[in-house]
Amino acid sequence: MADYASIQALHKASPAFSPYIPVGLLPYLAFLLLSSTFALAFYFSTLPKQTLPVREAAVASLASVLGGFGVVALFCSVGVYV
Amino acid sequence: MLKSWRCCLSLFLLGVLGPGVVSAGHSFENTAIVRTVELGGSLVHVTTTYAVKALEDGSRLYTLALADSEHEKTSWLEAKIKGEAAVLSLEEFGYSPDGGAYLYTVELPNALKANGTANLVVETVQTHVTYPWPDQAAQSDGQSLKYETDLLVLSPYHTAVQRTKIRSPLPQIHSYTTLDDFDDFTTESPVTKSGATITYGPYYNIPPSSNKDFIAEKQKHVIVHYAYDNPMLEVLSLKRTAEISHWGANLNIEDKVHLQNSGAKLKGHFSRLEHQSSQYYGRPSPQMLPALTLHLPAGIHSAYFYDLVGNVSTSHLRVAPSVPKGVQSNLNSVMELRPRYPLMGGWNYSFTLGWDSPLRDYAGWDKQTGKYIVGVPLMTIINGAVVNDAEIKIILPEGATDIDYSPPFPSLHSNLSTHVTYLDTIGRPAITLHYKDLTYNHAGTIYVTYKAPFSTLLRKPMAVAAAFISLFLVGFAAKRVDIRIK
Repeated sequence: MADYASIQALHKASPAFSPYIPVGLLPYLAFLLLSSTFALAFYFSTLPKQTLPVREAAVASLASVLGGFGVVALFCSVGVYV
Repeated sequence: MLKSWRCCLSLFLLGVLGPGVVSAGHSFENTAIVRTVELGGSLVHVTTTYAVKALEDGSRLYTLALADSEHEKTSWLEAKIKGEAAVLSLEEFGYSPDGGAYLYTVELPNALKANGTANLVVETVQTHVTYPWPDQAAQSDGQSLKYETDLLVLSPYHTAVQRTKIRSPLPQIHSYTTLDDFDDFTTESPVTKSGATITYGPYYNIPPSSNKDFIAEKQKHVIVHYAYDNPMLEVLSLKRTAEISHWGANLNIEDKVHLQNSGAKLKGHFSRLEHQSSQYYGRPSPQMLPALTLHLPAGIHSAYFYDLVGNVSTSHLRVAPSVPKGVQSNLNSVMELRPRYPLMGGWNYSFTLGWDSPLRDYAGWDKQTGKYIVGVPLMTIINGAVVNDAEIKIILPEGATDIDYSPPFPSLHSNLSTHVTYLDTIGRPAITLHYKDLTYNHAGTIYVTYKAPFSTLLRKPMAVAAAFISLFLVGFAAKRVDIRIK
């Protein structure tokens, strides 16, 4: 465990934290992703039944992943910083 | 009981210390000791200046002594050379072998030759050392406090001359111990008063005093009764939560404060009429707390202030622009809080105050080790208040590993736990540090380092995606079930 003064110096010298996605973009990203999720879910509901549900699985997976990121972005936009 | 010191003396020095301290009386002599006591409400600031003379070559470790009662009440201890800014390293030696005092060794920056001199300034802050007297006061009465201390400054070395000055914030001093029959060490009057300052001394030729015999025979107790026209504040408990979010690039700090006005208790009922009229005529009750002004960090936003009843709208925040990480700046956001009711003597108020701040002002990324370093402020200073009990919880992002932390001074105890909140699957690691008797000097920064690779960031979206997939599975199954009545 390094001593306090050296950690303090390291803290000051290291580059500041920057998120992978800029925080200002998160509301717009949330809107985009969640509307895509909604559209894909709607499309999923119109798909015909197939013996091997390849199309249904693909649409559901894509909608879920987009929905996952969309919900996280939505939480951050409204002030619940998850 | 909390002390603050830079513990940099190695075990080697500790080994040297042992025989050195027991025979400490031989290597130094105090040519003069001046103790200045600045009286206040909850906090009393004591500055003791030791003019020391070395009696042998290579003298470097000077021993300070604190009496039992003084040690218990001292919450901050710092030693410097007069005129210099560098803080000297202090080591706690423990209870004196002769009994009666706690010893601390100070390492002087330069070893002194025989007859070399140095001026050592020791600053301490004492807490819970004053009490209201009388302990009840009506709304319009003033407030007076009593301060008790020992007359003589203890030292394991011989002292040529010493004096104690007690300074009251107001010139109204109701009474002080006059030491009528005390004629040891002095031929003149043992105590003099001039305006708001009482001087005990000068006392000459005091032998090494940090032992039971001297304390039992010669030590005297001094009590000063003075007027104090500010509310005496105590934070009975402070629970600070600092939550770090990488997705939102945000540091949320939330304080749950239980504030008490520990001054003279209110005698009789609280009269709103009397309160309003005293405010109108510009003569508010001196021991009442109508509002608090806090200095919060710069660059904060979305501050909230609520209590058990709900949101408290009587607050005003003036934000200072964001200050980059690590930069020492005097810029502070000013938050004026007005509790739901004025705090009269003996009354309590609990509230929650929190705010969000950009993580870039607090966290950095060290490429070499691949770790994030975050500096979390330990506490917000409430003017004149002592924090009896503090618990600081730092919540790191989910999946953080290799966690290490450096507080500015050691905590009473600390532990690592798991905190579960929104969209969590495995929970977030949380470091909790416990402190006691914090003062304005203890407002430092706790540095935490941890690793949080990109994969930890994906945990939350994938958890929500799993929830969505389960919904789609339900839809998938529902399409294939025929519920028509045949």
